[in-house]
Amino acid sequence: MTSPFQDKQEAVSYLESLLNKNLRVTTTDSRIFVGAFKCTDAESNIVLQYTYEYRHPTPQQAQQQNTTQGDPTNSNPTNPTTTETTTTTTTTETTTSKIKLDLTSRYLGLVVVPGQYIVKIEVEEFASQLRGRGLL
Amino acid sequence: MNSFDDEQLPLTQGFGDLSLGNDYYSPKPGLAFEEPPSPMISSEGIIAQEITDKFLSAAAKLEPGELVKDGFFTLFESVGALEVMDPKMDSGCLAPGESLDDDYDVSRLLSPSEVIGIIDQLFSLEMAWHLGYPLSQTLFTSVYVEKLQHPNPTTIHDADFIRGHAADSPRDPMHTVLRAYCLGLLKACYFVNERIKSEHIYEEEDFVTNTYNRSLLESLNRSDIYDEIVTARQVLRDTHHTETNELAQALDFRLQFRLAFLRAIELSELRTDPASLTPPWAEMQAVWSKISKTRDLGSAVPGAFSTKIQRRLASTMPPRPIVQPSAQETQRHFEKLIEDGMSVLNVLNYTDSQSLLKFVLTFQAQKPQPMVYVRALLQNFLFHDMIILGQLSIRRVMDDDLSIVVLPDSILLDPINDTIEAPHQPRFIIASHMEIFRQRAAQSYLDIFRAFCQNRCRVRRTLFHSLQDWEMLQAEAEEIDELLQPHADEKLLVYPPRTGGIPTGSMPLSSWAYHYKLQLMQWTVQLGFELEIYQPNELASMYWYLAYLAQTHIYHIDRIKFFTTHRLETTHPTSPQYPRSQAFLEHTHALTRATFSLALALSTLYTALARLGLLPSLTTSSSPLAPPASSSSRPYSTDALRHEIRMKPFASVSLPDLPSHEMMVQATTRGGMSSTAGLLEEVKGSVANVRRQLGVLAALAGDDGEEGTKRRDDNGVAGEWSTANGNKVFAVGCLDRWKGQVVEGWMKAVVEIEEVVERVSKAENETKGGGVKGEGVVTRLKLKVPRPSEAGHEWWIVPRIVKE
Repeated sequence: MTSPFQDKQEAVSYLESLLNKNLRVTTTDSRIFVGAFKCTDAESNIVLQYTYEYRHPTPQQAQQQNTTQGDPTNSNPTNPTTTETTTTTTTTETTTSKIKLDLTSRYLGLVVVPGQYIVKIEVEEFASQLRGRGLL
Repeated sequence: MNSFDDEQLPLTQGFGDLSLGNDYYSPKPGLAFEEPPSPMISSEGIIAQEITDKFLSAAAKLEPGELVKDGFFTLFESVGALEVMDPKMDSGCLAPGESLDDDYDVSRLLSPSEVIGIIDQLFSLEMAWHLGYPLSQTLFTSVYVEKLQHPNPTTIHDADFIRGHAADSPRDPMHTVLRAYCLGLLKACYFVNERIKSEHIYEEEDFVTNTYNRSLLESLNRSDIYDEIVTARQVLRDTHHTETNELAQALDFRLQFRLAFLRAIELSELRTDPASLTPPWAEMQAVWSKISKTRDLGSAVPGAFSTKIQRRLASTMPPRPIVQPSAQETQRHFEKLIEDGMSVLNVLNYTDSQSLLKFVLTFQAQKPQPMVYVRALLQNFLFHDMIILGQLSIRRVMDDDLSIVVLPDSILLDPINDTIEAPHQPRFIIASHMEIFRQRAAQSYLDIFRAFCQNRCRVRRTLFHSLQDWEMLQAEAEEIDELLQPHADEKLLVYPPRTGGIPTGSMPLSSWAYHYKLQLMQWTVQLGFELEIYQPNELASMYWYLAYLAQTHIYHIDRIKFFTTHRLETTHPTSPQYPRSQAFLEHTHALTRATFSLALALSTLYTALARLGLLPSLTTSSSPLAPPASSSSRPYSTDALRHEIRMKPFASVSLPDLPSHEMMVQATTRGGMSSTAGLLEEVKGSVANVRRQLGVLAALAGDDGEEGTKRRDDNGVAGEWSTANGNKVFAVGCLDRWKGQVVEGWMKAVVEIEEVVERVSKAENETKGGGVKGEGVVTRLKLKVPRPSEAGHEWWIVPRIVKE
């Protein structure tokens, strides 16, 4: 892997720019942890604060939801997740099967995600700020 | 506020700080429902950008051990972080191939015997919760319970494990029964939990009140749940003929039990006449025996219980195993719960303050101790809203107690004093001083009752705290006594009589405080024996100290008696308070003398056994690796230092003096002054004294316990005092229990001592002629210090001869 960073200083300042932003860290068992980024080290162990755990519904739940909810109508391909605000569960819409599914969530607080289990890291940005920076 | 609050608050807070993210979500049960809704994983305004590769390569540039972290985030905080994917910490971590779902289908049809099986397992789990295990490992492992209360039902119709059930379509009868049962169960748990939360109970020691963000049907009406159970019983009757179908009958018993338990809880809130509160408990008792007889009809449904549910509870704990007592244990504990629940109601029959105290003492001294819920009920009955037993003011109880102990028929306690408005009147002055005293003493007095409502270790610990308080109270009471004395029209007397000392007043208030202080000190030492605080080599000195305290107490009672008798003889009043007070003094005198003689007997016995080398060393019960027990082998301490530590809680007490180490050594070695045979003779003498005093107590209590119980009912009216049996020993409402624990329990210790003395004397006499003194006995006899639970009475640890 060719590193996008020329020197260490650049890498550190990039990581520092992420501090206190909300990260979404997906682990090997396909859970997603969303929390404020507090700390990392050389092995990419990540400390998140105020973390919620989101879990994809199990096949059984998926089936139930599928039968009760029916097909979705408004799908937006650029944004793979939509939300449902009335309950504590959050709805996602899988792009593959085109149905709405509830992600079950749980509050965990302060967590460490060991680097070896991380498969995906996303940073949450305000769309308005991205637009302001001309990135969108 | 009292000392309990002071102690408990920082503790709870301390635990709160340990849990994760406490600034966001408080795990305190009361606030459990204020968990913020989880944020939406996406919204219009927020876009997630993938940065995986960039992040990982940036992190790879860091040196090993180097951190990039937020300046306000300390590594100390991170110690409390939950490590994802660690199976010991991360409750969401699944084993490979494991699914989060339970594959159990709650909508499947159940046979009646399966429903009985599920219900009986729920009984066991409910009991495990009562015994102190968390809901997560007990009731909340039931799939039915989980589906019933999550998502939280807001109406009775919602409360079903099969959600979205059409209102008009009939439920399967077996589902109706199980649902009604679970509703009754959870609602009862809610009330039990609330009751326990509202009283002083030690979380982590006694009971776990955490409900893991489940509501226990908080928002549903009690009456709706009654209706559901009644309807379910009706359905049972319609579909099966309850009279002929034993399965239907068994189910009906179980529903009836739930109904009765809910009623019992509802009625206990009233705190009125025990006779009107008892019926639901009696019904529970009757139904319970039928339930246990029909247990074999059920067939277990293991799939309906799963530890997986714990992953969805508001807990950061990974799943722990289900805790389930066996059917026999469940039955035993339920029987005990019902029995205690019924007998605790009797506390509401108030006759006098000393009987009330004795009720609490004997009720809590039961082995095993009553369950937490019953103890919470007792506290609620005693203290709720600062109205004692739902009918008496604290002042009323305190004045009653003062009149029993020191001030029968006294002007100091005359309620008329309060109506005098002229400030120069002695009665006005008395009223104002007494009010100051009451305000000062009330909390200390109530704390004694409250302390005894705790678990046994806490009782001892709390009494130690109270001791300091009573020490100060006694000093303050002395000042008030001196202020009151000129107004109370009391003749000064020389005490002890005919010693030519300076005449003094009776000092009633400080005498009262001193009485309780001595009582507290004796209880504390006695609880030390019960809780196995003392090592075998300390027993001689601790029993000697107990005897010392009891002796001081006897002298003090003599002094109170002297002044009371003098007042009675000079004024010839007719108030029934005099005979009552005299009976109390007589009873306490006998009891304290018994304590004194028994403690002295045991101290002397242990001294003699130590001389003969028969006392087991410290290592007998602990690991064989521990060093041998002689003093020289404990190089980092000395006997004097150990004495100082052991006596530390008593060191701040000015009266009675703390005996010095030398004094106690002298008392427990007897400096070789008397022969061992002489010591054993002394034990016999003391034991004979105990027998005599216990005889006096038994006579006071009346030989026929039943009669005492019957008469108690006639004398239910507070304030009156007759010489009925329970009254003379101030054990109205708990006479049989008191007799069993003290008169009979202590007598067991007496018999044990006599036997040991007999056999040791015999062995010693026989070996004396033949060999070297002492050695022969060691080889012939082997002694063991029993655990308190094995002893005849927990307070009197009599050594046992295990080998002859």
